[in-house]
Amino acid sequence: MASIHLQNIVKRYGGFVGVQNMSLDIADEEFLVLLGPSGCGKTTTMRMIAGLEEPTEGQIVIGGEVVNDIDARDRDVAMVFQGYALYPNMSIYENIRFPLRMRGIPASEHDARIRKAAEMVELGSFLDRKPGALSGGQRQRAALARAVVRQPQVFLMDEPLSNLDAKLRQSMRVQIKHMQRQLKVTTVYVTHDQIEAMTLADRIVIMNKGAIQQVGTPDEIYSDPANTFVAGFIGSPPMNLIQGTARDGRFTAPGISVPCPRFVHGQVTLGVRPEDCHVGGDNLQGQVYGVEPTGDVTYLTVLGGTNKIEVKAARDYRSDIDVAIGIAFDPAHLYFFDESGQRIRGAA
Amino acid sequence: MRTDAPSVPAGGVASATPDRSGNPPRRRSPALRKAFPYLLLAPAMIYLLAITLYPGLFAIYQSLFVVKFLNWTWTGLGNYSQILQDREFWAALGNTALIGGISLTLQTAIALTLAYFAYRDPLIRGWRIIFLMPMLFMPSAVAFIWKLAFNDGRVISDLLMSVGLVDGNVDWLASVWLARMTLIVADVWQWTPFLFIIFVAALQGQDQEIEEAARLDGASWPEIFWNISLPMMRPVIVVAVTLRGIDITTMFTNVFVMTQGTPGGATETMSYFIYRQGFRMFNFGYASAASVLMLILTIIIAQTVVKRAFHSGKK
Amino acid sequence: MATARKSRGESRILRYLILGTWALVCLLPILWFLSIGFRPRTEVITPEPIYWPTFSLDAWRLLLSDWPIAKYLLNSVLAVGGSVVISLILGIPAAYALSRYEFRWREDIGFYILSTRMMAPAIVAVPIFFLFRSMGLLDTIWALMLIYAAVNLSLVIWIIRSYMLDIPKELEDAARTDGASDLRILWEIIIPACLPGIITAAVIAAIFAINEFLFTLLIASTANAYTMSVALANFTGGSDGIIYNAIALVSFIAFVPILILVILIQKHLSRGLTMGAVKG
Ligand SMILES: Nc1ncnc2c1ncn2[C@@H]1O[C@H](COP(=O)(O)OP(=O)(O)OP(=O)(O)O)[C@@H](O)[C@H]1O
Ligand SMILES: [Mg+2]
Repeated sequence: MASIHLQNIVKRYGGFVGVQNMSLDIADEEFLVLLGPSGCGKTTTMRMIAGLEEPTEGQIVIGGEVVNDIDARDRDVAMVFQGYALYPNMSIYENIRFPLRMRGIPASEHDARIRKAAEMVELGSFLDRKPGALSGGQRQRAALARAVVRQPQVFLMDEPLSNLDAKLRQSMRVQIKHMQRQLKVTTVYVTHDQIEAMTLADRIVIMNKGAIQQVGTPDEIYSDPANTFVAGFIGSPPMNLIQGTARDGRFTAPGISVPCPRFVHGQVTLGVRPEDCHVGGDNLQGQVYGVEPTGDVTYLTVLGGTNKIEVKAARDYRSDIDVAIGIAFDPAHLYFFDESGQRIRGAA
Repeated sequence: MRTDAPSVPAGGVASATPDRSGNPPRRRSPALRKAFPYLLLAPAMIYLLAITLYPGLFAIYQSLFVVKFLNWTWTGLGNYSQILQDREFWAALGNTALIGGISLTLQTAIALTLAYFAYRDPLIRGWRIIFLMPMLFMPSAVAFIWKLAFNDGRVISDLLMSVGLVDGNVDWLASVWLARMTLIVADVWQWTPFLFIIFVAALQGQDQEIEEAARLDGASWPEIFWNISLPMMRPVIVVAVTLRGIDITTMFTNVFVMTQGTPGGATETMSYFIYRQGFRMFNFGYASAASVLMLILTIIIAQTVVKRAFHSGKK
Repeated sequence: MATARKSRGESRILRYLILGTWALVCLLPILWFLSIGFRPRTEVITPEPIYWPTFSLDAWRLLLSDWPIAKYLLNSVLAVGGSVVISLILGIPAAYALSRYEFRWREDIGFYILSTRMMAPAIVAVPIFFLFRSMGLLDTIWALMLIYAAVNLSLVIWIIRSYMLDIPKELEDAARTDGASDLRILWEIIIPACLPGIITAAVIAAIFAINEFLFTLLIASTANAYTMSVALANFTGGSDGIIYNAIALVSFIAFVPILILVILIQKHLSRGLTMGAVKG
């Protein structure tokens, strides 16, 4: 039960900046998801919170206490590692038991807790095996069980579901969220999977190249992206980003013309989500480039000038390629970004 | 969407109370953290320093005296100036280099050849055990095997006679080169396995796909070995030969048992020279001076060859 | 197609010729030496070698009656076993430090440890002799234990270090967040995970210790501290000349356990012999 504050955290590896000037407040009992491309510093951030890595600069506060000088073993944090980190010489049962032993939890409680944790990850029948005799997904679940077997101040989970199949992943997701709500343990969770981020998070942190791009609820991140990086990262397929010129309340680019607010002018980038594009209209005049039916929705790619624009069309939409087509953009959901990629907002 | 949530009773695993252990979190002392690896190393380092640094210093000190039993007489660098003019010392150095060099070359060549033929052979496990056996005898035993075969038992002479290579019994200790050869044969016989085992492991550890690709490109096995496998195992060869080379330069047991340096010192190695000066003639100061010179040589070799060999071996 | 098959057949003949020849080179002297152990003394050194000797247990009788062979064996086992224990106790923490921590002079310390292996026993023979004499340890198995441990320490450290480097760092991190102290991580996680390396190091150290000759020769002067290796040289004494059949027997008595040990660690042998530099 603890809040976490990161104050101007910097992590340098020699000359390379792994995490730059990161400040973040994580509320008590919050479920926070770190999202970002590979190598952006997610694991590094987690490891600094866990105490496995010392920040080059800045302060880490957990539960109101500066923990920079406190050993990982005394931070009372449970972590699920990206590479599982199961102890190869111990059975799964012993693996899950290890933190209980180390924390001096009475031996009489061990068995019940271990079995409960194993049940939760549906690993009950594998307790006697060594990690080497499990599949990747099973190992990952064992690692998860080892973390949740005790109640720490903070859970850190580094892509704990990345190796599971879609169905198991979905059910584990529900499990994790339920458990977190029930135990009320502050949780930091790293994932590559947007659905996971959206469904689990109270708030999402989007990172890129070691820096925070935006912090917000899933809704805010989705509907109010702060810059082109966030806009282009969230959504599947992600937001269309079109470079063009804005003048006198109109944005134009090859094949594209839409009204825009007057305070937008000059070289700008227009962002529009595929779900806000509709077949029939004249904001975009182009040709059909490709049609991809997926079952519940059909993705349509339209070539307008040099831009390829993704459109989410009705599930039964079909077309040949190279057919001329007009697309309407929902005027209520247009985003404009300046040349540096920052969102242009109204004077208000 | 969420209908297939598991039937397991949902909920926390831990009890409602947090698991914090009662004791307050330990602040780590930066000094202790920094010192920790040194503390782990300290016992081993003290031990090693005791048997290298202390004897080294002792040898330097003793080398400045003429030691006659309990009687130490200061002589300064006298031992050194004497030793540098001592024909026997230079002969021992030369013998060590000569016998070691020939022996090392031979065993490297044999081990490579054997490894090349054996590593893809279906019977490799059998070959490995057989080829390994000479190495598993105590060196003193091997020395006696060959002493008996060459000298006392006359078996080698007899066999050579029966195939007509020599006529009459050969006295292996009478000729400089024959005596050296007996040492070389014993060393090659016992230690070729050392290199063979390492070379085979290196060859087997190589990525099979590379060989297969070359095979598909039409290369023959010798071509593959020469152009691909051998260059790839170069670092391994360097490390193995370096280690073996160092052991050869310390050659003592065979000399002690088989030749005692005869004829006329032609088979006396550095180690035997030091032993003889110290423990046969009780010239401890003189022996120490020789030790110091050999130590300097060792340090030079370690700093150049060995450091580089192990550096490349790691990669 | 036909020519390809033919050339392969020829190369197979060549291959078996070469491998078979070397197998004979290895085995014949061993078999012949074994036969020495089971022939009467009178048939060992003769004007003409005797290839088909009479079978005899002379050497056994001699060993059992005249030579305290059990005592030598016991000395070897104690000195070697003790030295292996000492070098593991000193070596494992050192290997742990060298493989898991960043600290100043790490590389230099590691290389210094390696280089002690390069030192010829003869170089330190005189000072070590004086050292043990002043400590009153000459002709004791304690001295042998200490010196074997010292000789093998660098090897033990480097082999184990190499295996520890293979253990992913995340494993330690996990144990640390689970609440384990550094020493507990070493004991419960690292040591079990690199057990094959530790066993390999122990076996190779034991073999080197069994084989050690020069130091033992200087330290041991009576049955108090004679080991198998030096006891061999002792059979040369007296008016009887060299008692080869007894030597041969003792050689094989030492050979068998070494062979078993080596077969046990076969897969790790090349890595052990190169002090971890070559991963078999
Ligand atoms: N010990 C280290 N030394 C040098 N650079 C490092 C070190 N650890 C991490 N880095 C670098 O820091 C950056 C961030 O690494 P990090 O592991 O935090 O990425 P990540 O966001 O977790 O990526 P992924 O999604 O692939 O797991 C990477 O570019 C990485 O190469
Ligand atoms: Mg990561």
